[in-house]
Amino acid sequence: MKLLIIEDEKGLRESIEEYFTEAGNICETASSYSEAMAKVNLYRYDCILLDITLPGGSGIEILKNLKENNYTDGVLIISAKNSLDERLEGLDLGADDYLVKPFHLSELRARVSAIIRRKTFDGNNLLVFKELTIDLLAKAVKVNSQVVKLTRKEYALLLYFIANKGKVVSKNAIAEHLWGDGIDMANNFDFIYSHIKNLRKKLMEAGSNDYIQAAYGMGYKFTDE
Amino acid sequence: MKLLTRYNRVNLVTTIVVMLITGIIYYMAINLILTNKIDKDLAVEENEVFEYVKINHQLPQVFESKDLQITFTSAQPGSVARSFINTVYRRGDENEEEHEGRRRRGHHHGDEYESGRGLISSVTVGDRYYKIQIVESKVETEDLVKIIFGITLAVILLLLLVLFVTNRLILNRLWQPFHNLMKEVRLFNIADNKDIPDLKTSVDEFKELNQAIISMSSRVKSDYKDLKTFTENASHELLTPIAVINSKLDTLIQTDNFSEQQSKLLNDLYSAVSKLTRLNQSLLLLVKIENQLVGGDQLLNLRSSVEEIIVQFDEIFQDKELKVSSDLADKEIHASPYLIDILLNNLLSNAIRHNYKGGIINIKLTNEYLLIQNTGDDDTLQSEQIFTRFHKSSDSEGSGLGLTISRQICENLNFKLEYSFKPPYHTFIVEF
Repeated sequence: MKLLIIEDEKGLRESIEEYFTEAGNICETASSYSEAMAKVNLYRYDCILLDITLPGGSGIEILKNLKENNYTDGVLIISAKNSLDERLEGLDLGADDYLVKPFHLSELRARVSAIIRRKTFDGNNLLVFKELTIDLLAKAVKVNSQVVKLTRKEYALLLYFIANKGKVVSKNAIAEHLWGDGIDMANNFDFIYSHIKNLRKKLMEAGSNDYIQAAYGMGYKFTDE
Repeated sequence: MKLLTRYNRVNLVTTIVVMLITGIIYYMAINLILTNKIDKDLAVEENEVFEYVKINHQLPQVFESKDLQITFTSAQPGSVARSFINTVYRRGDENEEEHEGRRRRGHHHGDEYESGRGLISSVTVGDRYYKIQIVESKVETEDLVKIIFGITLAVILLLLLVLFVTNRLILNRLWQPFHNLMKEVRLFNIADNKDIPDLKTSVDEFKELNQAIISMSSRVKSDYKDLKTFTENASHELLTPIAVINSKLDTLIQTDNFSEQQSKLLNDLYSAVSKLTRLNQSLLLLVKIENQLVGGDQLLNLRSSVEEIIVQFDEIFQDKELKVSSDLADKEIHASPYLIDILLNNLLSNAIRHNYKGGIINIKLTNEYLLIQNTGDDDTLQSEQIFTRFHKSSDSEGSGLGLTISRQICENLNFKLEYSFKPPYHTFIVEF
């Protein structure tokens, strides 16, 4: 996939770029309004990560420009502003999602994956990873051809892992993804452990390989290596 | 003590004192004038005696007129000096009826004694020397003085009464702008947009007070606004570095081979950053709620909101083996679902966080109130302190802003959030 990261904060921009750069992905960056405007008018991207407050202009203007030209790039707004109005304005203008700073890179990645999946839908609502097949519309998971019954949280967890395959995902990131930041019970990681244990057990009982690895007590890694 | 009472007290005392002093002076002046008049009468009488003696060369017949007695007694020649004296007028008992009213002046054995004024003089008839004593009763004079004194007293009392009543009426009216102003000051809320209005008064003092209060309140408000803007900006500016730390941590854990010690350090860093994030978000949220910037109000059924949140927390209830009972009635309110979510979330999180394993949580929703009860420590919490910012128990994992936010949300909705403790339950109640 081809991404454009529009973010003026160097540290954040580099982290995102590094996290997304891997075989098959192309990441481009822009750190100012004019640079971003130039790039979005020249090239097409699968997904654009768009910061609202930029030196030289507002990310909202870039979004408007995209929509005026009927470009179909996916747009994920990453903003420090967490007000409902801003969020609604962004989404009304045609952004696909809205992520509030600070966020976990794994969360960003899951959101980007979801946007790209939606963009490249093509009547195909199946996400395939090795012997796992996930029907995104029916929210059904199969190992080979055997149906696995997952709870809502286990399903969300599996999607999250697949979007971040090969990456270590921290327990904090998982907790926030599953419970949202509204519930600050997130520090109790026992829940995550039991969900992951159940997910792993169900998948393996259906004949899947064990893809979920614990990573140094900090988090988990979904990998086929 | 009220200003009016105090003013009246001072006013009354000075009025009475001044009136008394003028009364005394008045009395003395009248007394003096009347005495002078009597003295003149006496002198005239004396003159008449002299005239009589001069013409007739004998003493006049001693007669007693109504209030006048003249007595002649022979004396050593030259022994009598002419002088006016205050003396006693002895009235005979001959005329009971007339004296009826004068009895109180004191009388002995049928004789009445009245205060009188006398002139002692002398006359020589032929070769005999007589002492003349002319005494006039002062009863008439004293009656006059009494009447005057009575009238004066009545006037004083009337004056006092009138002063008292008018003071009360006028002062109450005069102070009306002050009371209006006090009402405004009492209603003054630093957080809302209502300003202290300009009072319609022609009194300079009140105008000045009004202006001072207006300028003070606007200064306070602008300071408060600055402070809030500062909090908002500071929290906002913090977001970016926190985002960078977060992303760098996420990147860091992608690198391989951490020792157990390193991963523990990383975990601690993660927890600290996530706590910082939550704290920051809470601060921003609080500022936003205080400024009433969260819109999106709609009619919602509180019952379904509560039911939803109970489902969300189900896992945690089970983990802590909490017995949760709920008794919910339908209750429609007009509010932002986002804020109601936060409110319920905070209250329920607290009920869980400060509970023990196997404890109890009761949730009750009626048309009048929402009540959330939980078991926990047997100590009563300081009900005023727990709603203040950053007040929390030492072992609490929260930000210390949860209840502050909850109360602010309730205030915005004109609800009342109260805490009480009745063993074994800590109770938070939202009154609609």
